[in-house]
Amino acid sequence: MATKVAIIASNGSLFDAYKVFNVATAAAASDAEVGIFFTFEGLNLIHKEGHKQLPIPEGREHFQEGFKKENIPSIPELLEMAKEMGVKIIACQMTMDVMSLDKDAFVDGIEVGGAATFIQYASDANITLTF
Amino acid sequence: MTIQTDHVLDAKGLACPMPIVKTKKAMKDLESGQVIEVQATDKGSLADIQAWAKSSGHQYLGSTEEGDVLKHYLRKASESEVKEDKDYPHIIKNDELQEKLDAGEKVTVLDVREPAEYSFGHIPGAKSIPLGELENRADELDKESEVYVVCRTGNRSDLASKQLADKGFENVKNVVQGMAEWSGPIEKDQ
Repeated sequence: MATKVAIIASNGSLFDAYKVFNVATAAAASDAEVGIFFTFEGLNLIHKEGHKQLPIPEGREHFQEGFKKENIPSIPELLEMAKEMGVKIIACQMTMDVMSLDKDAFVDGIEVGGAATFIQYASDANITLTF
Repeated sequence: MTIQTDHVLDAKGLACPMPIVKTKKAMKDLESGQVIEVQATDKGSLADIQAWAKSSGHQYLGSTEEGDVLKHYLRKASESEVKEDKDYPHIIKNDELQEKLDAGEKVTVLDVREPAEYSFGHIPGAKSIPLGELENRADELDKESEVYVVCRTGNRSDLASKQLADKGFENVKNVVQGMAEWSGPIEKDQ
C-alpha cells in the first residue's frame, strides 16, 4: 500500500511555504498519497493572490538572492505541481470563517473542511507533519 | 564508461525537489525495462534519487560524476518482474555457479540485463545480450556449451532460458537469485 502523508500547514511565511510544498511534492513524486490541511496563517499559502507574494521573515531578506541563485522553483510553481500530482488541499473552514474568506479567495481545486476532516484523513497516515 | 540509455532527462540547474519530480514525470513515458539517465547539478539528488527509487520501486543502477554534473541511471520496473513463479525448470543457485567459476570450469555466463545495468557491475567474463535482443543474437552463443543465464532477479533470465531452449540449446540453466543477491566477484566497465 502506498505511503500516506498528512501535513498541517499553520504558518504563512515564504519559508513555511517551501517547507510544506517541498516535502509534499517530494512525497507525491515518491508515489505517496499526500494531504495538506491549511489553517490560520497557513491559509496564505493557498490564497489566490497571497501565495504569490509571501513575506520573508524579518531580517532574512538576503535569502531572496539565495533562492534566485539556486534556481529554486517559485511557490506558485510548486503549488501547481503539487496539485498536478494529486496532492489533496484542505482549507480550514473555521479559519476561513474567522477571516471572512470564502472558497473563491483561494486557488482552484481545494476542499474545505474542519478539524475532523483532517483527523479522519490522518487517521491511517504513515507520516504526519506540522509546519 | 559509456552507458547506453533509452532516455536522457536534463535536470541540470534545478533544486530539490525538482529533479525527483521531473524524474517521476519522465518515468511515465518510459516502457518497462527501459533505462533513463538523469542529469542533475543538485548534490542532494545523489541521495534523493536512490531514496526515490526505493519508495517508487524502480531500480537504481548507479551514478557517475562529470565535473559538476551528476548522472543517475534508473531502470523502470515492470509488474511482471515482481512475479515470483519462474517457469523454466532448470536452475542453478548463485553460489553453485560461483563454485563452477572458482573451479575454472569453462562455461558461458549470459547476462540478459540492459547494457546500463551490465556496465555498473557484472560477473567477470559474462557476455551481455539484453533480453530484447536475444531473439536475433542467439547465434552468437555456442549451442554445445553450458549457458548460465543471469539477470537481476531471475525473471528476465527465466524468459531468456526458455527462448534459448526453444532454439535448441540443451544446456541452459537459469541463475537464481541473480545479480541482486550476487556476492561473488564483480567487474565494472571503466
